[in-house]
Amino acid sequence: MSDANTHQRSDAENELIELRDSARQVLGEQGLAASEDKVRPIVTDLGWLLVGVPEALNGLGQGVAGSCAFYAELGRSLAAVPYAAATIAIDAICHSGVADQQGLIERFTTGELVTASLAESAVTVSNNKISGTLSAVPSADKASHVLIANGEQVALLALKQPGVEITARKTWDETRRLFDLRLNNVALDSKLTLASGTAAQALSTRISTLRDFALVADAVGGAEALLEMTVEYLKTRKQFGRPLALFQALKHRCADLKMLVSSAEALLNDSLGRVGNQLDNANASNAAKATKLLACSVYARVAEESLQLHGGIGMTAEYPCHLYLKRALLNEHLGSGSYELDIADHFLSQNS
Amino acid sequence: MNSTVDSNALREEVRAWLAANVPKDWRKAMTGTDQDAFVSAQREWFNKLVAAGYATPHWPDGWPGGGRSLADQKIIYEETARADAPRLILFFVALYHSACTLMEWGTQEQKEKYLPGILKGEIWCQGFSEPNAGSDLASVKTRAELKGDRYVINGQKTWSTMAQYADKCLLLTRTGKSEPPQAGLTYLLLDMKAKGVSVRPISQITGDDEFAEIFFDDVEVSIEDRVGKDGEGWAVAQSTLSSERGLTLVELTQRMRYSLTKLADVIREGGRENDPAVRKDFGALIAKVNASCALADQYLLKRISGTEAAGDASIVKLNYARTLREFTKLGMSISGLQGQYFEDFTRGGSQETGNWTVDFMNSYNWSIAGGSDEIQRNIIAERMLLMPREPKNWQLI
Repeated sequence: MSDANTHQRSDAENELIELRDSARQVLGEQGLAASEDKVRPIVTDLGWLLVGVPEALNGLGQGVAGSCAFYAELGRSLAAVPYAAATIAIDAICHSGVADQQGLIERFTTGELVTASLAESAVTVSNNKISGTLSAVPSADKASHVLIANGEQVALLALKQPGVEITARKTWDETRRLFDLRLNNVALDSKLTLASGTAAQALSTRISTLRDFALVADAVGGAEALLEMTVEYLKTRKQFGRPLALFQALKHRCADLKMLVSSAEALLNDSLGRVGNQLDNANASNAAKATKLLACSVYARVAEESLQLHGGIGMTAEYPCHLYLKRALLNEHLGSGSYELDIADHFLSQNS
Repeated sequence: MNSTVDSNALREEVRAWLAANVPKDWRKAMTGTDQDAFVSAQREWFNKLVAAGYATPHWPDGWPGGGRSLADQKIIYEETARADAPRLILFFVALYHSACTLMEWGTQEQKEKYLPGILKGEIWCQGFSEPNAGSDLASVKTRAELKGDRYVINGQKTWSTMAQYADKCLLLTRTGKSEPPQAGLTYLLLDMKAKGVSVRPISQITGDDEFAEIFFDDVEVSIEDRVGKDGEGWAVAQSTLSSERGLTLVELTQRMRYSLTKLADVIREGGRENDPAVRKDFGALIAKVNASCALADQYLLKRISGTEAAGDASIVKLNYARTLREFTKLGMSISGLQGQYFEDFTRGGSQETGNWTVDFMNSYNWSIAGGSDEIQRNIIAERMLLMPREPKNWQLI
């Protein structure tokens, strides 16, 4: 009944907590859903793109958990910045054998924008030429390069060249600017090849796994912030001479949402603890998928309920309920698609 | 206090012990059996665990098996789940509720009188709930009147797990005024063989009778068997209720995760491993089960590091109850009509026995007992989200 075990925070953990707190403060000052033009310089100037970059490559060495802390903060604030896409591409560079690794990392963390698809891509490479489509690519109009990964080939591709067609796709979610890319026999630059063969397969797994975790953390941060906002609203809004927060019918719904958000957060922590920085294997990929499925459905549920709990005002453009709702709905559909089936199949194949 | 090396050594030691000692085919032996056979199997398992020191890791140093850190206790529970060992249901009240309450509140004489008996296998039951004091536990009415050096008890308790087999009872009684209801409660230790005690098992929807009602007709309890002071019963009862510190849900969530293989078996046996509808439900459930495990695990880590917040325990329990319900419902759904045919049930294991309709019915134990889902939601809303409490003086309009 006695316990001497107390958790001592490491220096790295303390550093991350400080970084995260300062990010929350800075983003708080920008207001909800701050524009890309406003937030992107902050992200670059404050070195946030270096959070997940290993120390050996002059980054902050905070690993996947560090990146997730920032995805969550940006998710809380609904910042319209292509942070996830950029860091996924930068992470791929860090874990590749590309020739000018340090030079590329420097370019893409100091102002030049690299982006990546937030969905599954359908591209094929033959004779060193790439064709096909990439969807859900954030801020492609402002990026110099995009990350390509199809399991056989991982590369960066310059966007301003013949054969690359960029089409803006307006989404209901106004906090992301997504583009479709159509590639028609675009030559790959060998200097920008990150991996091929089996290395490309492992790196492609890493990329989709990190993408899942980015969506998870965005969802957890967003869901948490939205639930806080909703509970505060219920405490102030009065009807029938009492605050809405006094009605048990509403309290219980908030409690359920809190339980769900906590479960998503716990699963994220658990998965990050299990996989560490080893994202390029089937177990990590499966853990990320289960976490993505759970967290994004929790976010959508919180957003759906929060709008209802706000009542009429939740339907107004002025109130941010809809911004969270639209981001939550989009998050559910980003990533690789058939999560439930993949998780089930992984389990059935492992335990037969 | 313990290094990781020691933890790993403990894990291996417990794992090896369980591999050698978990009764083979205990599930089969405990399926379709009567309660007496269950009780004797539980006794046998209890004696083995006590002898090995694994029944009492939470007792203080100096007691057999005692003095283990919470982190070590967690390891023992995790390994118990991993080995699919029987759960020590019949002795849980004695080992946790009674022992922890006595350790915290008992006099030296009470400890000497009762704790050795627990190690010898005395069965205890809990006399807290009453027909009109369920979720609202503070409103208990069972009366204890002090006459000289004895309390005279009259009233009724209910939902007392396995009271029909109990030797002793933790009894929450009213000795004083009922305003506020938490005041005026007194905590007593009762001998179930005392004159005037009668027990009536409650027949449940599963056909089992795990619970019982207890009736008191001028039952006498010596003042020496009072725990804490007269009127201090509510505080003592809080210690009783918080004695297991989250370990049970670590064990049960882990068991739930291992039980996913049982669902996988049903899916394969039905040739439905390519059925997208089934796979979709199964995939979604796996994610939820993993989240339940993560919540219970991280809750215990918070307790170990002393960073637990109000309401954390309610989140874990509410989440487990909801996930368990979904789990058993999916089992029923996949079993189809076959699952609706009566089958003998299994006693003493995980909540997911593979007899899905019984498992579904039993899942209500977790959403009703030990603080219903609704009570947990109140706690989460009021203590974590700081939403206001219900006004006290209500009236029908």
